[in-house]
Amino acid sequence: MDLASRYKGVVGFVFGNENSNSSEDSYVERLLDRISNGVLAEDRRNAIAELQTIVAESRAGQLAFGAMGFPVLMGVLKEERDDVEMVRGALETLVSALTPIDHAKGPTNEVQPALMNTDLLSRESESISLLLSLLSEEDFYVRYYTLQILTALLTNSPNRLQEAILSIPRGITRLMDMLMDREVIRNEALLLLTYLTREAEEIQKIVVFEGAFEKIFSIMKEEGGSDGGVVVQDCLELLNNLLRSNASNQVLLRETIGFDPLISILKLRGSSYSFTQQKTINLLSALETINLLMMGGSEADPQKDSNKITNKSVLAQKKLLDHLLMLGVESQWAPIALRCSALRCIGDLVAGHSKNLDALSSKVLGEERQVEPALNSILRIILRTSSMQEFIAADHVFKNFCEKNTDGQAMLASTLIPHPNSMTDASLEEDVNMSFGSMLLHGLALSESDGDLETCCRAASVITHILKDNSQCKEKALQIELEAPMPSLGAPELLLHRIVRYLAVASSMKNKDGKLGYSYVQPIILKLLITWLADCPNAVQCFLDSRPHLTYLLELVSSTSSTVCVRGLAAVLLGECVIYNKSSENGKDGFTIADAISQKIGLTSYFLKFDEMQRSFIFSSVKPAQSHKPLTRSTTASMAEIEDDENDLTDQKNEDHPILTPVFDAQFVNFVKGLEVNIREKMVDVYSRPKSDVAVVPAELEQKGGESDKEYIKRLKAFVETQCSEIQKLLGRNATLAEDLARTGHSHPELMAGSGSDRVQVETLRRDLQEASQRVEMLKAEKAKIESEALMYQNLAGKLESDLKSLSDAYNSLEQTNIHLEKEAKTLKSGGTSTSTDIEAIKAEAREEAQKESEAELNDLLVCLGQEQSKVEKLSARLSELGEDVDKLLEGIGDDMALPEDEDEED
Amino acid sequence: MSYDYLFKYIIIGDTGVGKSCLLLQFTDKRFQPVHDLTIGVEFGARMVTVDGRPIKLQIWDTSVSAGQESFRSITRSYYRGAAGALLVYDITSSCTFEGSCTELQVVNLIRRETFNHLASWLEDARQHANPNMAVTVIGNKCDLSQRRAVSKEEGEQFAKDYGLSFLETSARTSQNAEEAFIMTAAKIVQNIQEGIFDPSNESCGIKIGYGRGQGTLGTSGTVGQTGGCCG
Repeated sequence: MDLASRYKGVVGFVFGNENSNSSEDSYVERLLDRISNGVLAEDRRNAIAELQTIVAESRAGQLAFGAMGFPVLMGVLKEERDDVEMVRGALETLVSALTPIDHAKGPTNEVQPALMNTDLLSRESESISLLLSLLSEEDFYVRYYTLQILTALLTNSPNRLQEAILSIPRGITRLMDMLMDREVIRNEALLLLTYLTREAEEIQKIVVFEGAFEKIFSIMKEEGGSDGGVVVQDCLELLNNLLRSNASNQVLLRETIGFDPLISILKLRGSSYSFTQQKTINLLSALETINLLMMGGSEADPQKDSNKITNKSVLAQKKLLDHLLMLGVESQWAPIALRCSALRCIGDLVAGHSKNLDALSSKVLGEERQVEPALNSILRIILRTSSMQEFIAADHVFKNFCEKNTDGQAMLASTLIPHPNSMTDASLEEDVNMSFGSMLLHGLALSESDGDLETCCRAASVITHILKDNSQCKEKALQIELEAPMPSLGAPELLLHRIVRYLAVASSMKNKDGKLGYSYVQPIILKLLITWLADCPNAVQCFLDSRPHLTYLLELVSSTSSTVCVRGLAAVLLGECVIYNKSSENGKDGFTIADAISQKIGLTSYFLKFDEMQRSFIFSSVKPAQSHKPLTRSTTASMAEIEDDENDLTDQKNEDHPILTPVFDAQFVNFVKGLEVNIREKMVDVYSRPKSDVAVVPAELEQKGGESDKEYIKRLKAFVETQCSEIQKLLGRNATLAEDLARTGHSHPELMAGSGSDRVQVETLRRDLQEASQRVEMLKAEKAKIESEALMYQNLAGKLESDLKSLSDAYNSLEQTNIHLEKEAKTLKSGGTSTSTDIEAIKAEAREEAQKESEAELNDLLVCLGQEQSKVEKLSARLSELGEDVDKLLEGIGDDMALPEDEDEED
Repeated sequence: MSYDYLFKYIIIGDTGVGKSCLLLQFTDKRFQPVHDLTIGVEFGARMVTVDGRPIKLQIWDTSVSAGQESFRSITRSYYRGAAGALLVYDITSSCTFEGSCTELQVVNLIRRETFNHLASWLEDARQHANPNMAVTVIGNKCDLSQRRAVSKEEGEQFAKDYGLSFLETSARTSQNAEEAFIMTAAKIVQNIQEGIFDPSNESCGIKIGYGRGQGTLGTSGTVGQTGGCCG
């Protein structure tokens, strides 16, 4: 009631004018009154039918119903189960009350009465339980409408419904039973369960416990697998909800019905080359399932990794790779989104799984005479596709194939032999018989003549994967020579040099056209060079062998027409020429390069390139391992229509081509960050010590024995000369640095001041540090002393303690004895029968003694008494002599014994 | 792998009595002493043989859930579809400061809660489960006899009172872990044979296998007394 009145308030507020709805209000009120108080069954049925109509047709009706109707209809559902027609009517009215009415007119921010009604109804968990109980009713419509109501509630208040259903025992069981019901009900139940299982792990588990997997797969089979309709899509969506981030359910699927039924959905049957939109969506959803299984579970689950590996093994055992290759590589008539998705799955299937890596590398495709390795086919996709998405997806396969797979890399690298045929003559169609490497090198060179470096940069990307972290492959690639584009133009060219040339060509092309279309060619080629030169002095050497290379690279770093990213990557490449430089040859060693950087670019400006690049979108954007948006009915439709969602990507707010985001993955970004740190350190190192050739031990400056003065002077002179030239060099370097500083000072005055004071501060700090470390040494010695003392005291204390302990033990044992004795005494006192005689004896003894004692005393007393008696007698005789009445005098004495002496005194 | 029957089990009982460990011991033959409460095995499957019949067991560890409040109501959802249940309690005192508390404290902390709760678990099961669900009472952690708080006789008596099977197990040493699951399976097989369970009704948590099965039990004589019944 309270809810209803509040609701009325909201209604009034929203519409501002209650009068406009008063007619609906009173009409609905009257109908409700007829339903609850009517006598004639027919009249009540009519009333409910009328109510349904008005609620279905007008928002005002929905509002009015929401304000008053729920208690009445819930009453009907509860009390009048036997009257099927009434129950149906009530349910149908509820469905209408919860279904939004589309009105083009009116402001869109208006309150939706249907939404408010769902909110009202879902608040009462009792209503949910009542609705669930209706699912057991015989009548088809009752079950059908009930499911619709529950689905409507779930769409608007999923959490509340999930909680309510969980708290009702057998709630989910009832819903699961609906999957076995007749088709219409089953389809409704599928939708309902899909909503119910979204992000609700407990419900997912219970649904699976109730045998959801078996039911889902049997429905899909019934519906024709991937050729089936939207029901198959719904099944897959439910399946994906059950498996997403839920390792437990994945294990269950694997251990019970297995992955076979899932994989069979991916199997393309018959000669149907047509991919309807529905079929595409179904297949995409099934690939999503595969993908979820290959992710293993939620990020937090420790079981995830082992589960992932097991899933991949089992999927591969079930020939998943064949089906994926069919979809992603061999079905060129399949929609591009599907091909890309299948290619990504292939990449994920082999990632970190040695057995699957081997399986992919040995897989061949095609008919008898036209067989070729699957990897070659995938490479062809990379080189030829017109879709950037497909290039990225196929590139993903090679990236994962080469990751931590030195054998695989070596295998691919071993085929890197230029095709003997004149490269320009061989068209792409003739590459079927080429080896992998030949095709790759062919692709690299192919586009040059067309003035288009598209295929070149794609080939470069593949080469990058082959060389990554593999010094053997890097060395091998350094040996490769390519024929000149036109034999007449000269000698063969080293692969590395060719690639650098393309890098240069790419910038000139861009300059000519002035468009940004090529902006990903240079970054991709730079990525290859950075990967190649990393930790490979020979590659650095080879790069520097051609003088123009260094000049070009220096230009590129400061080129204003390049993007931030290109300048930064060029700076990294330049830095690699310093840090991985093992050469001692003059003009090519690390010092020379460092000097060149400082002279041509300026160190400050050089390091600034790193900072700019790190701040750029590609390097700074957060990159999740893989961002997967769950496929749902609403998202799949658009997904399948996408031929190539390049357009989708271009609206990002950065100057770099969107394709670079997947190419510059987190791994590469981190790698570059690591390199940057090394480069900075190495640069400081270069400037902080003289070249080794002038380092002289002072002892050598002394005149040697047997050395003549002349010789000595000559030697010293030579030494002074070298030192002189070194000083010259250092002065030169110093001048460059000062100039650099001055230049930056202009543009960043605060920076210079900062660095000047910094230097002073550094000096002070160094001194402080020295002092501090001395003090530390001192303190350390002191500490050691104190420690030894402490140890001594500790030993002493230990000894004392043990003494004390033995003392206290002794005391304790004494006390113990004492207690023991006391206790014994007590027992004795309480008097056991055995000791009573002793006591009697003692008693007797004591008594005897006491008697003896008292007897002696008595004797003494008697003697005393005798003496007194005689005294009295003598005195009495004397008194009677004196005429005193002795008897009278003695009378009082008997009464007052205490005063015998008075008497004596009276005498 | 083909099997004659598939049985669905659930493991119920208070938290901390070792349900997940028992399941892990049965399915993976290993013991994991420190078990994260929130993330568990949750589900396991294994083949066993009862009287020469291959039987597939699917076992749900129902305890893995977030809040204690919702814990019971979620567990209830599993009852109806289960053919067997292992009702587990902890025979030891559940001293929560294990290791750090002195002997004296242990004496003060002796609690038999998990045993005392058995009756309420059973009541729950009676209310929501199939009436013929085979329940085996399991006194777990019997390797920790020095901390025993519930005697074996008490456990046996409880099971006898309710007409259930009983075993003491140790998920740590694997003692009786396997027997606990097989004993329950034997009981279900016996129920099927006696016609108490209708194996064709899948909602009881029993499924007839693809390979064999279908009526084979009805004609085959005795069912092995695997494990036997305590009582």
